[in-house]
Amino acid sequence: MIQAWIAAFLTLAIMSFLYKDNPVFRFAENLFAGVSLGYFVGIVLNQTLKPNLYTPLVTDFRGNWDLLIAGGIGILLYFRYIPKVAWMSRFALAIYIGYYVGVNMLQKLQGEVLPQMQSALKPINGFNAASLNNLIVFIGVLAVLCYFFFSKKHEGAFGRFATLGIWFLMVSFGAAFGYTVMGRVSLLIGRLNFLVNGWLMHLLGR
Amino acid sequence: MADIVRKLAAIDPRIIYLVMGLAVLFPILVPIGLRVTITPPTQSAFDAIEKIAEGSRVLVSFDYGPSTSAENDPMAAAILRHCFARNLKVVSIALFPVGGDSVARDQMLLAAKEFPDKKDTVDYVNLGYKDGGQAPMKLMATDFKAVFPTDAAGRPYDSLPIMQDVKSYKDFAIAETLATGIIGEWWANLVNAQFHLDVVIGATAVSAPKYYAYLNSGNAVGLIGGLKGASEYEKLLVEKYPQFEGAYKQAGVLTATKGMDAQNIAHLAIVFFILIGNVFYVLMKRSRRAGDAA
Repeated sequence: MIQAWIAAFLTLAIMSFLYKDNPVFRFAENLFAGVSLGYFVGIVLNQTLKPNLYTPLVTDFRGNWDLLIAGGIGILLYFRYIPKVAWMSRFALAIYIGYYVGVNMLQKLQGEVLPQMQSALKPINGFNAASLNNLIVFIGVLAVLCYFFFSKKHEGAFGRFATLGIWFLMVSFGAAFGYTVMGRVSLLIGRLNFLVNGWLMHLLGR
Repeated sequence: MADIVRKLAAIDPRIIYLVMGLAVLFPILVPIGLRVTITPPTQSAFDAIEKIAEGSRVLVSFDYGPSTSAENDPMAAAILRHCFARNLKVVSIALFPVGGDSVARDQMLLAAKEFPDKKDTVDYVNLGYKDGGQAPMKLMATDFKAVFPTDAAGRPYDSLPIMQDVKSYKDFAIAETLATGIIGEWWANLVNAQFHLDVVIGATAVSAPKYYAYLNSGNAVGLIGGLKGASEYEKLLVEKYPQFEGAYKQAGVLTATKGMDAQNIAHLAIVFFILIGNVFYVLMKRSRRAGDAA
């Protein structure tokens, strides 16, 4: 029950910001930031560094000595806090950036650009809902691309087509806004449900 | 009239917050039971599990934290119930740093309680959290054990009966990601695109629109979008497996279906405020014009 009391207090403390900024809100906000960081450090130590680095090295050093290289590169990142050897952290950062740039290049091309191009060019077979949808998607993609093409002045037929692109963008922003509202309301539902069913009802013994 | 409009247009936002709070609170206290309609993306997500052969392994990735648990928890509960009802083996992992491991543990424990005949490490296992995002996701495609040498409880990989012969994504029938932020995208544009594992995305409402593109391109076989998607999944589950009806009608437990009551009332309030705000805007513009003309 003490957990419910703490959670209820912190929920109300965060919600108190809606009335106005106050020290209780700032306390809860800072506590959340601190606890999140502590949790993250603990979880990475226990669930990544321990099973994937420390334990293999301790139990079978000969078979896993190459992990020292990865561990060493990771430690290099922290050299930036020692001014004399701060330059060494750049090696680790370069490897880190290089890896993720390489992964992302292929991932974006193979997983986004090509499949999205393909799905924007679906066949139009006859007069039916699917074909109409494919046509709208095709025109929408072209119109939005025209809007973002700035090497030609947006005037005449090109300008009107680019304006159509704005309309498509507006529709997508509207959909995104609607979903965002739904998401935020869902979070409020979660918290209010906790306050009512997880705390107040228990408090009242119901 | 102009004065009243001006006063109402300058209304204290805290009154609007209060109205919104009451709009959400009322259906929580007095459930209404509004109708839930099924949309094709959720139906596809449900069908994807239905099509899998009994005894197959399902990889459930908990890629969210407590901050979005109101949306993702009902999805997770429904998916785990669905998997266990179909006698599928569940392997859970977490890739979201702040809270992913905790929600994975909690949800797996809750599901295990409901299905006492299911055995830990035989029918399900929680492998825990792994840092690095795309790096472990890529490595899982070739060497699953290298990413998870132990499960979350520290038991060695080779001692887990459910993980026997699991080398890569090929040993799973499907991956279900319960995602907030970008991790869900990686399952579609990395794991599905490069390693061809079917992916179902259970996304928060904020990120749901972008996932429609992946659904359209075939990089995801199903999409559960926000609380609405979760409520649809719950409805499909109860229709197909009536034994879960009691779990979803239990008093005091938040389900997506109950949450949608509050969601609908809140949306009505928001639509009302948007309409009235626009009416006031037009009226004020007119009165300003009339003032200028005078």
